[in-house]
Amino acid sequence: MGPSTAATAYIAATGTALPGDPVDNATLGKALGVSEEWIDLFVGTRSRHFGWDLATGEVRSTLADLCAEAGAQAMDAAGLEPSDIGFVVLATATPDALLPTTATVVADMLGLDHLPVLQLQSGCSGAVQALDVGRAMLTAGRGAGLLLGGDVTNRFIARRGNAARLPSEELVNQVLFGDGAGAAVLAADPAAEGVAVRGVLNRCTGQGRAPGQFLDWYGVSDRHTERRLLAEDYKAIEEHVPVISGEILWELLGSLGWSASDVDYLLPPQLSGRMTARITERLPAPAVGEVSCVTETGNTGNALPFLQLDLLLPRLEAGQRALAVTVESSKWIRAGFALEKV
Amino acid sequence: MDEIAVVGIDCAFPGATGTEAYWTLLMSGGDVIGPVPGQRWDPADFPGTPDSGGFLADADAFDADFFSVVPRDAAAMDPHHRLLLHCAWRALENSGRAPGELAGSDTGVFVGVMGGEWGRLTVGGHGRMTPQHGAGSSAGMAANRISYHFDFTGPSLAVDTACSSSLVAVHLAAGALRAGECDTALAGGVNVQLSPALGEVYAQMGLAARDGRCKPFGASADGIGRGDGVGLVVLRRLGDAIADGQRIYAVLRGSAVNQDGRSNGITAPNRWSQQRVIDAAYRRAGVAPADVRFLEAHGTGTALGDAIECAALGTVHGVERAEPCAIGSVKGNLGHTEGAAGIASLIKTALALHHGIVPASRYADQENPQLRLAARGLRLLKSPLRLPPGESVAGVSSFGMGGTNAHAVLATAPRTRGPGRRPARARGERTAGFGVFTLSADTPEALARNLAAQAEAVARRPRGRATGLCWSSNLVKTGLPYRFAVAARDSAGLTDELRAAAAGEGHEPHRPWRAPVVALLFTGQGAEFPGMTAGLYRDSHTYRQHLDEADKAIAPHLGLSVRELVLGGDERVLEPRYAHPASFAVGWALAATLGSLGVRPAGVLGHSAGEYAAAVHAGALELDEAARLVVRRAELMARLPDTGGMLAVGLGAEEIGRRRDEAGDAWRDVTLAVVNGPHDTVLSGPRDTLRGLAERFAAQGVRTRLLAAARAFHSPDVAPVAAELRTEPVACNRPVVPYASTRYGRLLGEEPLDAAYWAGQAERPVLFDDALGALVATAAPTHLIEVGPRPQLLPLAGRTGRVAGLDLLHPAHGPDAAGRELAELVAALYRGGLDPVWEALYAPEERVSEPLRPYEFATGHRFWDRQAGPGEPAAAPVTRPDDDPGAAGSEGDEPPDEVLAAVTAAVAEVGGHAREKVVRGARFYEDLGFDSVMIMQLKDRVEHRLPQAGEVSVQELLPALRSVGSLADFLSGLVMANTR
Repeated sequence: MGPSTAATAYIAATGTALPGDPVDNATLGKALGVSEEWIDLFVGTRSRHFGWDLATGEVRSTLADLCAEAGAQAMDAAGLEPSDIGFVVLATATPDALLPTTATVVADMLGLDHLPVLQLQSGCSGAVQALDVGRAMLTAGRGAGLLLGGDVTNRFIARRGNAARLPSEELVNQVLFGDGAGAAVLAADPAAEGVAVRGVLNRCTGQGRAPGQFLDWYGVSDRHTERRLLAEDYKAIEEHVPVISGEILWELLGSLGWSASDVDYLLPPQLSGRMTARITERLPAPAVGEVSCVTETGNTGNALPFLQLDLLLPRLEAGQRALAVTVESSKWIRAGFALEKV
Repeated sequence: MDEIAVVGIDCAFPGATGTEAYWTLLMSGGDVIGPVPGQRWDPADFPGTPDSGGFLADADAFDADFFSVVPRDAAAMDPHHRLLLHCAWRALENSGRAPGELAGSDTGVFVGVMGGEWGRLTVGGHGRMTPQHGAGSSAGMAANRISYHFDFTGPSLAVDTACSSSLVAVHLAAGALRAGECDTALAGGVNVQLSPALGEVYAQMGLAARDGRCKPFGASADGIGRGDGVGLVVLRRLGDAIADGQRIYAVLRGSAVNQDGRSNGITAPNRWSQQRVIDAAYRRAGVAPADVRFLEAHGTGTALGDAIECAALGTVHGVERAEPCAIGSVKGNLGHTEGAAGIASLIKTALALHHGIVPASRYADQENPQLRLAARGLRLLKSPLRLPPGESVAGVSSFGMGGTNAHAVLATAPRTRGPGRRPARARGERTAGFGVFTLSADTPEALARNLAAQAEAVARRPRGRATGLCWSSNLVKTGLPYRFAVAARDSAGLTDELRAAAAGEGHEPHRPWRAPVVALLFTGQGAEFPGMTAGLYRDSHTYRQHLDEADKAIAPHLGLSVRELVLGGDERVLEPRYAHPASFAVGWALAATLGSLGVRPAGVLGHSAGEYAAAVHAGALELDEAARLVVRRAELMARLPDTGGMLAVGLGAEEIGRRRDEAGDAWRDVTLAVVNGPHDTVLSGPRDTLRGLAERFAAQGVRTRLLAAARAFHSPDVAPVAAELRTEPVACNRPVVPYASTRYGRLLGEEPLDAAYWAGQAERPVLFDDALGALVATAAPTHLIEVGPRPQLLPLAGRTGRVAGLDLLHPAHGPDAAGRELAELVAALYRGGLDPVWEALYAPEERVSEPLRPYEFATGHRFWDRQAGPGEPAAAPVTRPDDDPGAAGSEGDEPPDEVLAAVTAAVAEVGGHAREKVVRGARFYEDLGFDSVMIMQLKDRVEHRLPQAGEVSVQELLPALRSVGSLADFLSGLVMANTR
């Protein structure tokens, strides 16, 4: 069961939304009570954006706000009207509410009506899952699709808490993430940017493996629980993600009959500035360059591959190829896709 | 057949004011039928007619002030006409243009309206007729009034073919566009149930639905329910619409109108003629019945009408086809809107094509099986139909009771928007241009009301760039007296600004009475810094173009690109050799940018070296010539000894002179180089000497500042330079705008700006203070704009005391200045009365047309007196407290004046104005909306009330008719003369 290579779908355009001004490590360190140097050294992320006020906790951008902004931008860039969009797939780990889904709220904001609107519960692999589902819907004749991915941290980062006292597998999460959303318009013909999706790999490989990443939620009955809201087995991640990343890359290449030297751009996993560097060390160097954003945006979860795509598209020239690799360590989902500008 | 584009829509139907609300109503399958409102009639008085129908809640509201209609005229005006005026304004706005921009154009107006009920109700026999009622009640005036108030000179006609009127109006409008009779057409119709008369007719004919509801194609269909409505579309030839970048809802492929001739009774529908009109429309549109995806049927819900229509539709559409043709009728939601029925159907169809989804037809779930729809290739829409990607074709039918049938064929609008060209984004950097969001209204209250409406509309959009909204607002929301403008980049920031302004925070509504008078001050040397205007160069395509132009002019003389030098942050811009060319390039390009934006200076002033750029913009020097001279002068200056310097001193010229006389040797070789103001001068001389002076001044508490200038400019030191400049021939012309010379400290007279001038200008003192005085006195500017990389002259000008009350503006506040500052300057000038060339503010890819919320009219004035006639005081309009018109400036402190009182009473009587609006200063034409008919009536009323004035001829009266006060004064004179 190799990566799917069904009828061609094209990425017509992308859009992104990062709320407010970037928050640097000094500001974040002060807000969380952790040292700026520690963030620099161990995480390697320089800035991120938050849709909520670090001082007051007031939420200024919901996930729906961010996804609608990114989606509108992508539709505009693709030159599409709401009536041109045939379906929506939104991937997130942090929906604004369980119901209505954030995807349906975003569809409303974008003037999209009477169409399939799906939401995927996912992490770092969400964008690829959305692409996978979207490609299937597109090739089934559903018309152009709007893919969205995003995450927000307002419920999960301990504002002004004494974060320094947290165990480090939780502390690392406090400084790793940022808010953001991204979007891509998937079309059946090479309109606008005209980047063909040549292959998609999307596979859960968590059978018998403990989760590497954990994000909980509480309700009425258990809101006073001692359970951790957010945890990460960062040792397991450090150990396995670089290896898995290599396997994803080679599998995509193999399935397409491409060699490593055919890849002009690599979009590597964006866990943190440090981890990304550690992963790419092990991967064959792309002919032109790597496209990463995590040091500026922080880990924006489901938004990340879209943010990378958004950086990639203006650079990608006709005939050039790009490969994206992402690993969702929650339940060890391997994901990636291969693009070629026609 | 040429295709016609539907580029603007506005409508109001019961329970759905505006296009958006109409669409929401249709998609939710709403039913707006309700009891007859008390204002209309009491159903108990009319047994046998339905007690329900579709009624517009605000059929009596009219923003008379907005259209300068006097209350008496407004009260006499048929409500159909009033609704059309609002609707026309909003529809034109929706087409992406300011309605005022079309004044004087050949725009055509085609309005369907049935009967003349208002006339019957208000003109009840002899003695009740007035000119206002005569004009107010004629159906023909429905279209003519729009043409009059909007100043349209194209065909203007009301169409009455009974229930098909408004679709026939669209057909005629399309024909007029194709024939070249007009370039834009407003087409549609209106229907207000003023009385139960037509309902009684339906009832007597057995056509009235008992529950007042049309149930088209339903098993329970039992006749017609009536509905109010008004709707207009803006039509253009497709090619024109595309060329003008207008948003297109749908295209009208073709249409046809016919008559059933001597049919089975004049009011009976006729299957064969219905078939023929559809066939004809399809033929003209070049479509086959199988291509037609859905049909908005006439569908009144009478048993016979539905059967005949379905038979006709079946004959046409029951062909070999992939899917049945979907049908529906909006009459199930609204009732039969008669004169507006066709336009209700056409708008529904255009919106369905625009949204890619066809609303379900109300009562379709109880489909009448006798209609055998499935067997006829038809499918009644029981649920919304999502249209496939690509083009869909739709038909609209509208049939008149007298046998005039109409059918129109619409199709999906062609894709005109290419993929948006996003500015290439550098990594991690989000760049978005600044625009200016503009809004205008006829009163401050209206401005606040519309600010609130826009704030709400913008807040509902996904966040994003605001340039498209800004650009659209410049095209659409300008042209009314009270102006608002704000620089904006993203929609969230714009929402905040609009909300604050609507709440009256920070933004005073501006009513400029004329264009701003702008004088330009060109900064001299000393303001330059590495990287100056780099942000503006990045953000403004116009500034980029002009700095490139300046660079091209300078490069051959300087031997390098001054643009690269300036933008690259090169420290050499501080050196004498480059400072002057660099500041010249920036100053010239900034002023050229203002010129591209539509700023025409009424006068210019250049401070010292700034005079070169000033001379170019005054038309005295060509750019190339000035560039050559600037580079030459800089070269010569650079050769001077660098031991000289300049010292700014906080003392006046006289005081400087006095101290220098007293001090003697300590001032050796020090000259007065610049007089900037009564307490601002600059000395030139050896830098060491100046330092000594600075210390001495400091001890005396006099502020001083050693300038960065590395030479003793404007001093005898410059004599060698001046000598060279004197031999340098200069090609110069006479300035074409007032030119305040800092060489002479006055306006330039006959003196040419020749070699001698520039030589003298280099070595003689700079007389800025006097020159500024001359500029302000001559040009009488309302706005002073400094053109330079950072403000230098504005603070000085402020301290001269010569510019009190003037707006001081700067396009580049300093190192961080970019697109925002330029946009803010444009916003300020717009508020001040400038109508900028907006294209200069937006790069081509930013000029995207976005739909904006249409104008919100005042709803405070209500007019619904159907009994008004002459004699009795004019029907005073009802004013609701939500929108007090506000008195036009009370001048009630004057002593009682019998003549004035008589004039006021006469005016109020003729115009039906509230007394508090008829003040001394009120102008007859502009403020009170008088016309020639009213003048004649006024003459009568005045003679009646002021017999002591005697008879006055119209010729005598006319010159006095400026304002209420001027008329009162004139009449007082007559009364005095007659009683003497």
